[in-house]
Amino acid sequence: MSNEPVDVLIIGAGASGAAIAWSLIETKMRILCLEQGNHLSDKDFPSRRDDYELSRYAEFSCDPNVRRLKQDYPINSKDSCITPVNWNGVGGSTMNFLAHWPRMRPSDFRTKTLDGVAEDWPVDYYDLEPFYEINDRNVGVSGLSGNPAYPKYSVPNPPIPIGILGQTLAKGFNKLGWHWWPSDVAILSKDDNGRQKCVNAGTCDLGCAAGAKGGANFTYWPILENAGVELRTNARVSEIQVDKVSGLANGVLYYGADGRLNQQKAEIIIMACNGVGTPRLLLNSKSDLFPEGLANNSGLVGKNLMFHPLTGVAGVFDEPMKGHEGPMACSILSQEFYESDSSRGFIRGYGLHSGRSTTPMTFALGGYGIDNPIPWGDEHREIMDNMYPYLAGLTIVTEDLPEEHNCVTLDNELKDSDGIPAPKITYRVSENTKAMIKHGEERAREVLIAAGAKKILSKNDDNVWWRAGWHQMGTCRMGHDPKKSVVNGWGRSHDVKNLFIVDGSIFVTAGAVNPTSTIQALALYIGDQIKKNIGTLFD
Amino acid sequence: MWSENEKNILNIILDQLIPKNSKRNIPSAGELGIASFIFDAANKNNNLKDDVVFILDWALTKADKISPCLVRKLEKENPNAFVSLLTETYKGYYSRPDIRQKFGLSKKPVHPSGYLVVSESNDYLAQITDTVRARGPIYRDPTGG
Repeated sequence: MSNEPVDVLIIGAGASGAAIAWSLIETKMRILCLEQGNHLSDKDFPSRRDDYELSRYAEFSCDPNVRRLKQDYPINSKDSCITPVNWNGVGGSTMNFLAHWPRMRPSDFRTKTLDGVAEDWPVDYYDLEPFYEINDRNVGVSGLSGNPAYPKYSVPNPPIPIGILGQTLAKGFNKLGWHWWPSDVAILSKDDNGRQKCVNAGTCDLGCAAGAKGGANFTYWPILENAGVELRTNARVSEIQVDKVSGLANGVLYYGADGRLNQQKAEIIIMACNGVGTPRLLLNSKSDLFPEGLANNSGLVGKNLMFHPLTGVAGVFDEPMKGHEGPMACSILSQEFYESDSSRGFIRGYGLHSGRSTTPMTFALGGYGIDNPIPWGDEHREIMDNMYPYLAGLTIVTEDLPEEHNCVTLDNELKDSDGIPAPKITYRVSENTKAMIKHGEERAREVLIAAGAKKILSKNDDNVWWRAGWHQMGTCRMGHDPKKSVVNGWGRSHDVKNLFIVDGSIFVTAGAVNPTSTIQALALYIGDQIKKNIGTLFD
Repeated sequence: MWSENEKNILNIILDQLIPKNSKRNIPSAGELGIASFIFDAANKNNNLKDDVVFILDWALTKADKISPCLVRKLEKENPNAFVSLLTETYKGYYSRPDIRQKFGLSKKPVHPSGYLVVSESNDYLAQITDTVRARGPIYRDPTGG
């Protein structure tokens, strides 16, 4: 291992770090990626074990506070109703994400202009469109072209089966005349380039041993390593350093697997640690030049944290819905209530996503991401024997609007295994979102009944799902105005001209869709801008 | 370190948590001996161990009287310990391949074979999405596209 200076240092080997590395390969710059976790082989994935479901509550939990692996950092979520979930390792959270792949819509980039809320993005849908397309090919996206909820685009692979569950729900939507469409998914519907098509195992969160799921570990990293991009695993960055004279970032300090602190110099530093990890690292990189944290002259690093608050409603049908067969979160998606409509009592909107019903253990423990075991005794038998097999559900995925009080800060006491301060999450759901959730629950009931459900199951409380913090956005947002944003329209820090951010933290608004497709499209767009501006990159 | 008596008593409680379904030949948690799973887990987790010890202490004097009513009382008076036991019971019970199979899942690990789900035909997809397409675009495009 050499610590010689590199041209480009990327922090984080997840969705965005991998995508921008791919974009920059052609520059022939020397690229190094530091990743705090390790590289798991598909043979290490638990879905080959008899007791595979148990790993969901242990070493393969989506919650780092449950996993507590060496590469994980703890997260203080005591002041939040949602806790962030992730994966720390090569592929990042695409290792255990569910691969639902909707794009953001044109209106998502213009919420200020259209609805008078939040801020407009410095880019729009059409700036990103070519990069969505490139990324869809690289990842191996499957779906049905022609979705009228979007400007026209083609999906590279045919759709995965929507199954009896999707077919049943679709009939309900059709009966009501509401929009729905087979989900775009980053999951192969046919074999491609050494990756096997989806075998409908239903355990997307446990790594996808088939390689069908388009995690960056299966898509970008094999190409990157063949192309000579250096990947240094078990390398946890604690601080980004700056040159006192130029004010440019000149390298990082990181802990290696042996626990020793190393220095790595670089000409360009790209952060790809997502909406919690990136502000954590910036806030921990204090210096005389940046006493409030690196690139934080705006004071907005860590602010405006957005998730997608979720809740769900399920219906019990006459026929078995086979919810355990097929990709966990992906069958069909309705965007009937996505755009603003003032008559609904809230601004912006939400999606209705058909979730499948997971495995018996996860269902009995309350559902994916929920710690609330179902009743015991005779009621338990009734639910498991006469409801569970017949369930089809809809998840209400709401658009969260940016609010400064929702934020990531550094915890004063909690630290990771290398002694680096842990992030603290302060977050509450807004009244606008609560109204959206209520509206969504009512509409979901209507669809389920129209689809033939004989009984409806819902929580009847205001709580959102605890482990819904997959989508971490907004904490280093992009914009033209250095006082109102952390990075410019192509991801470069306003304050540090050779520091870029390419992950979900630069989102200005959240939309109401899973963000990874947009995160990677943005990373490719930023890579393209770096190449176009290479001669004047630090001006 | 756990006695046979403790195991028997815990299995009696577990029978209340997940009773059997005689008609479908689905055994109860106690019949499957899930107490052993819980003891193994408790040996690796001190918090769980404390909860199990607490519940066993409570149950030792009531072994022959354990009923849904009594377990309900335990749940009400000691909710944290109870949820801890319930969670572990569900994990132990539903991690068994033979139980998974009773709910239509494969007894085998899901990889490599997974499940066969037939793809919908193009004609079917065209027909079922026809009304959606017929409405035309439903997005707002501030840039004019």
